[in-house]
Amino acid sequence: MTTCTIVAGIMPNVTEGRVADAATGVRLATRSDESDLRELTSLAVQGDRTAIESLLGHLRPMVVRYCRARLGRVSGHYHIADDVAQEVCIAVLSALPRYRDMGRPFASFVFGIASHKVADALRSSVRSAVPTQDLPDGPDEGPGPEETVVRYIEAEHARALLSRLPDNQRELLILRVVSGLSAEETGNVLGMSPGAVRVAQHRALARLRQLAELESIA
Amino acid sequence: MTTKRRRTARLLGSYDDADVEGDVLRTDAVLDALARREPVASGADAAVRLLGALIADVESQRLSSVSITPST
Repeated sequence: MTTCTIVAGIMPNVTEGRVADAATGVRLATRSDESDLRELTSLAVQGDRTAIESLLGHLRPMVVRYCRARLGRVSGHYHIADDVAQEVCIAVLSALPRYRDMGRPFASFVFGIASHKVADALRSSVRSAVPTQDLPDGPDEGPGPEETVVRYIEAEHARALLSRLPDNQRELLILRVVSGLSAEETGNVLGMSPGAVRVAQHRALARLRQLAELESIA
Repeated sequence: MTTKRRRTARLLGSYDDADVEGDVLRTDAVLDALARREPVASGADAAVRLLGALIADVESQRLSSVSITPST
């Protein structure tokens, strides 16, 4: 188990489980009223522990998904992506007291940090030792090895094709689809109107489709 | 800190054609369903199938046991 101790001395209610178990995180984030989130952010900046915990609870699942989509697995595991996501959360916590609301949503600040952390991780050629999973106490109810391999290959194929898209299109699709943001929220993060997001995502998907078709022909 | 000017759909290109607008809205509905983790029939659409696989992969592995604990 990796335990990160932070100076702020805050203990968000982070529970172990599949990311899918944190689906409420997606729903809360996508449905939450922007002004509520702004108020929550304001309280968190002032050091309100409950607000900080709640804010992290909103953001963390999206950050984890974003990092996993960008970084992929190493030796079959998401340890590195999850560590980077944790670094993002710690960086956000550290920066909170200095955060000033300049009119842009807090999520754009968070994903800005996430984008830099992911870029740093991609640049780093040093891969640390990958810890092995604990032996399970009960039967594994997940998909079998064959299905796991097929899914892994398809996911890696998706990452490879996404990496060939222009940066803005790749970022848009990952935020919109994998992190689970709405068109409005994606627009807030990227500085685009919801209409522009809808047009751009249509073009990005068309480009992804074209790349997939070209590859299947070759 | 400068605030980015919002780009409108029109600046990105033609958005007048009803068919194109329909396609844009259909794409939005599909991506919205993927974002909400609702089942999507990808059919012959390789791009949607691959995005679905990526989501399934990202969601499949348990969150690592990384935790944030108070300093002592």
